[in-house]
Amino acid sequence: MTPHVVDVPVLETERLILRAPQASDFDVLAPFVMSDRANFIGGGVDKDISHAWRILAILTGHWPLRGYGVFVLVPKDGDAPIGSMGPWYPEGWPEPELSWTIWDANAEGKGYAFEAMVEIRRYAYAVLGWETAVSYIDAANARSIALAERMGCVIDADANGPDPDDVVYRHPSASEVLA
Amino acid sequence: MIPTLTTERLILRGPETRDWPAFRDFFASDRAVHAGGLKDAKQAWTFFAAEIGHWHLRGFGMWTVEQDGAPIGLVGCWYPETWPEREIGWLIWDGFEGRGFAAEAARAARAHCYGPFGWDTAVSYIHRDNTRSIALAERLGCQRDVGAVHPNPDTLVFRHPAPAEVAA
Repeated sequence: MTPHVVDVPVLETERLILRAPQASDFDVLAPFVMSDRANFIGGGVDKDISHAWRILAILTGHWPLRGYGVFVLVPKDGDAPIGSMGPWYPEGWPEPELSWTIWDANAEGKGYAFEAMVEIRRYAYAVLGWETAVSYIDAANARSIALAERMGCVIDADANGPDPDDVVYRHPSASEVLA
Repeated sequence: MIPTLTTERLILRGPETRDWPAFRDFFASDRAVHAGGLKDAKQAWTFFAAEIGHWHLRGFGMWTVEQDGAPIGLVGCWYPETWPEREIGWLIWDGFEGRGFAAEAARAARAHCYGPFGWDTAVSYIHRDNTRSIALAERLGCQRDVGAVHPNPDTLVFRHPAPAEVAA
């Protein structure tokens, strides 16, 4: 029996269920972490499967340590997870971040990340009580920058990211989003 | 909930946020050399999160060992991806060695692995230069298992007594 260690709400959008990370997610997460698509988030072809497993364990353990964490996205018309997104605030982060990662390349370009992030940002502001949020994006990650802009984020040149190559995108504030 | 175990002097409970400073300090010290190596605070935090995530993913994991209300180490079950088999591991923070706490906690953890968790065998993977840890394994009745697969070449495999032997 798996002990209950993580209280994670289930969020829902038109096409997606957003739920806690779970052991079976590894089948989709591991190939992603070990691919060049994960270069921007600490993965890559030089990473091994033990590194991938630890990432799944970290995604999970972040929840009880911070009281929030990333959700795993599962399309309602399928069973397999396609990515993880949400509040992320590990040691060394200047401030709590709203992060997003699409694991499954076939799930890109369908607006899933935008759809999930709009709901997750609402959750961060309305339920977690955040008043502001950033997303740290590698300057070379054009897809991610496009999503940030679509969400109304603007570059905050005065804020620092955890990595020198990061650009800090500041989301519209809680009062703007919840208005 | 992560089960809580109680021994004569110790409480073994799930790791929590308040245990983080001691975990961070251990991995910033030379004592981490045989426990995966020195880590800065950023790296250590991810390992700390993974300790808790391990419980969620495997259904078992490492307990925080508490003595008189203070965390003194982590002892319990460890089975990350690529580990050949399920391990019983121990990390004792600086200043709490030499008083038999690790052995006391490891015995309680092992009893729980063999009991509620249903394990039929257990190993401990120990760096060949970690003489203190090897001495503890021997004190727990473990024997070198030279035929067992190890997770990395610097590691010796110590096999714990079987459930029937421990219970006898």
